[in-house]
Parts: sequence; C-alpha cells; structure tokens
Amino acid sequence: MARPHIEPYVEFNEDYRAFDFAAYKGAEYKVLSLDVDTGASSLKVKFNGGYTRKPGLCYSDMEIFVLSGEIKVGTETWVEGHFAFVPAGVALGAMEVSQGAEAIIWYNDSEPTFEETDRDHLLALKEGFVSVNSYLDCPWASGSIVSPSTATGCMIKLLRFDPITEAMTFLYCMTPEFMQDNISYHDCAEESYHIWGTSWMMQFGDLPTGGYFWRPPYINHGSFRSKLGCIAIGRTDSKLHNYFHFNPWTNPDDNQARAASFLYRQRPQLFRWVGAGGHNHPHGPQGQLNYQKPPHDFETPGYGHRPDVSALANQSYTFREMDHLHADEYVHKVHHAHKVEEDHHHHHDHEHGHAHHHGDGDLDHKH
Amino acid sequence: MSKYVQDEKPPMTAEAKAWLEKETATQEDRYKAIVDEQDGLIPEREKWYAEFLEIVQTKGFNFTGDQRRVIPKEEIAEKPDRPDAMRVVW
Repeated sequence: MARPHIEPYVEFNEDYRAFDFAAYKGAEYKVLSLDVDTGASSLKVKFNGGYTRKPGLCYSDMEIFVLSGEIKVGTETWVEGHFAFVPAGVALGAMEVSQGAEAIIWYNDSEPTFEETDRDHLLALKEGFVSVNSYLDCPWASGSIVSPSTATGCMIKLLRFDPITEAMTFLYCMTPEFMQDNISYHDCAEESYHIWGTSWMMQFGDLPTGGYFWRPPYINHGSFRSKLGCIAIGRTDSKLHNYFHFNPWTNPDDNQARAASFLYRQRPQLFRWVGAGGHNHPHGPQGQLNYQKPPHDFETPGYGHRPDVSALANQSYTFREMDHLHADEYVHKVHHAHKVEEDHHHHHDHEHGHAHHHGDGDLDHKH
Repeated sequence: MSKYVQDEKPPMTAEAKAWLEKETATQEDRYKAIVDEQDGLIPEREKWYAEFLEIVQTKGFNFTGDQRRVIPKEEIAEKPDRPDAMRVVW
C-alpha cells in the first residue's frame, strides 16, 4: 500500500526525535505520514539554532514550507511562509539556521537522502524549481478555480502545479464563520497541515492548529465549518475534482463507483475505451488499453516513466488494507458483509455462462 | 526511454531501512490510535449527520460554490444496515 489514511492527527501532542541519518543529521523531526513501501514522507522538522548543512542534492523531489524562523539557503533567506519545490537532483546551497526554525518538508518519491555537492545532477529537471514567499508574494484566489467549487470564504494561493499530473501544492484559508453544506471526495490523495486555526468536518470533528491529515482518494469529508477561520498548507498528488453529495453513509467503494459513473455520463467514449482494457470478454470490445503500458500521449511521449506518474499508476487503494488495526469484531463483520456482497455480484455477473477474467479496469469488482 | 534522477538513486542505506521500519511501526500505532479515537466519536457523529440532513432539507445543499438546492425528503438516504456505515477512517 502507499500511505494509510491518517486523519486527523495533531502533531503538537508528539515529541520531536533526532534526525540521525542523511538529509538533516543534527535536526529533529516528527513524521506526519509515511509511504511504507518507498519511504516517501511528510515531516515536520525543527532546526535548532546553529544548525548548518553543506550544499547538496536529494534523489527525491522535495518540498519545504517554513513555519517559523529563518533559514539561509545559499544566497536566499527563507522566512515564515516561504515555499520551495526542489526537483530531485537540484543542488541546494549551504543551509544555515542561526536562531532556530521549523518547517514542513515533503519527500515525494523516496526516503530523505542527501549527497554533498554544489552541482546539479545531470538529469535534474531544474526548470521545475520553485522558491517563493507564499505570505508576501502570492495573491489569494477564489476557491472556484475548480468546479464544482468550494463555497465563498475558502480561498487558495497556488504554489505549485504540475501540468502532467495536475498535482498541486497550495495555501488555503477559511474565513471566520465559513460553512459549506456538502460532503466531498476526490480521485486524488489529499494532504493538509493546519498552520493556524481550527476547521471542522462532519466525519472527524475539529482539526486545530498543528492538525494534519493524509487522506487517500474517495473518502468522505465535510460538511465544513470554521468558527474563527484557519490557514493551512495543502497538497494533492493528482487532479482535484470535487465530487459533492449528501449521503453521509457511503464508503470509498461507493464513491469510486459514483466517480466512474460521472465518466460514463460525461466522457462516454473515453469510458468505453478505458473500460475495455484488460477485459477479454469474447463479445465485448477488445483491449485497446494495455495496462502494462500507459496510453500514448502525442504531446508528452514518455510521460509514463516519470517517477511521480509511475508511482501514482502503481498505487492501489483497496481501503481494506488497514482492517487488521480495527476492532476484531468490527472487521469480522465488514469482511463478512463484503464476502456476501462479492459472492452475490459474481454469481449475477457470470450468469451468461462463459468464462472471462476481470482486468484492472473492472470498476464493479473490488477484491 | 527517458531517465530521471530518481532512477539513479543509490540503494536505501541500512540506517534508512532501520528508520523506515521503525517509523512504519510508529505509524501503525498512530493509525490505531486515530481509529480508536474516531470510533469514540460515533455517538456525536450520529448527531452531526442528523443535523446535516436537516440542513440540506431546509437551507439546502451546496452543489457548487454558494449555489444550494433544497433536498426533498424522498432523496435523503436511509442509514444502511452494514457494519462500516459509521466508519470514517479507511
């Protein structure tokens, strides 16, 4: 699995631990969430006064948001609100923290690594580098940059947008007395750290200052409230589409099927083409899509080799992988209910009397 | 085939592996604590759901932005009889 659903988690209740390897030896950290397969991680890092690090590069894309203090990085000075996206292989200048600083740091592809050098790696995608003070140098925009959109009072500052995956990093805020009366879910994983203030969601209750979540796709969240307002930094790993509804009891499988129904209604030819892949039904359309290879994009050939794209393609969310950490009786009931449901579906679907298998694109069968 | 910096990443070091193993176990504990805490909220969550369903039938449901639609009673779902009906952490 990629990362489990961590929501809500308030990091203020945890102690820092010494960072005793590679990237930030001498600093302290807390893990907010972690991809247990790759080591990709979201960390809160504390640099004590006097911290220094030589110039160097990392073999993972890395993002940093400065929460407090001042960090000198090469010729730049990063203060509260500074955001940087550092593509894998781009060498950062020497770091120096004279009075102490705290930051959220994300490693997108693998565990934190560090190689001392003052030169970029030959393969580094330098043009992707972003370094901006999000508080001082970016405007607030309406949340309606996506549609269906959030209610007035939720605003964003877009800090990074990946044109290939449409992954985003953004600041967002909710004004005091913000409210939005719907339940939302997305096709993407979503992550947030509350810099200041409290928001409330109907499933999870309050998310206060220092509150964090990593939420896999298709998980209900909302309705939404913020009594006094809040500001947070958020990320998605791919395109964010707001699927709004008002049924509080749906589960991720229900939500995923509903998302597919949107595709069926709104992009019917694409749905048919994608759905045919991996399905060898003798009377149906024949595999236009080979799931071992990404579909050809004449504009961006070779995109499938990009580390973030291939990582996304290989992620598989079954929403049952963490069942062993739920109460035994509860898990037993859930498994039993799903077993009955699956048996029923299979019996029904196979009534046409000939054998076929279901590929990855089989949207009705979640095993 | 395009090659990326990530393709040239040296193998994970022993200390990084140990770190990952330790943090994976810690994350499992964190997940479990969250599940327990969220299970404890079920009675309150039942009330929140009831309030929400009342709001969407009176004030309306935000279908996009500030645009609302008042939902008629017949469109309101019944709570399903399945064990994960109140589950919120997946």
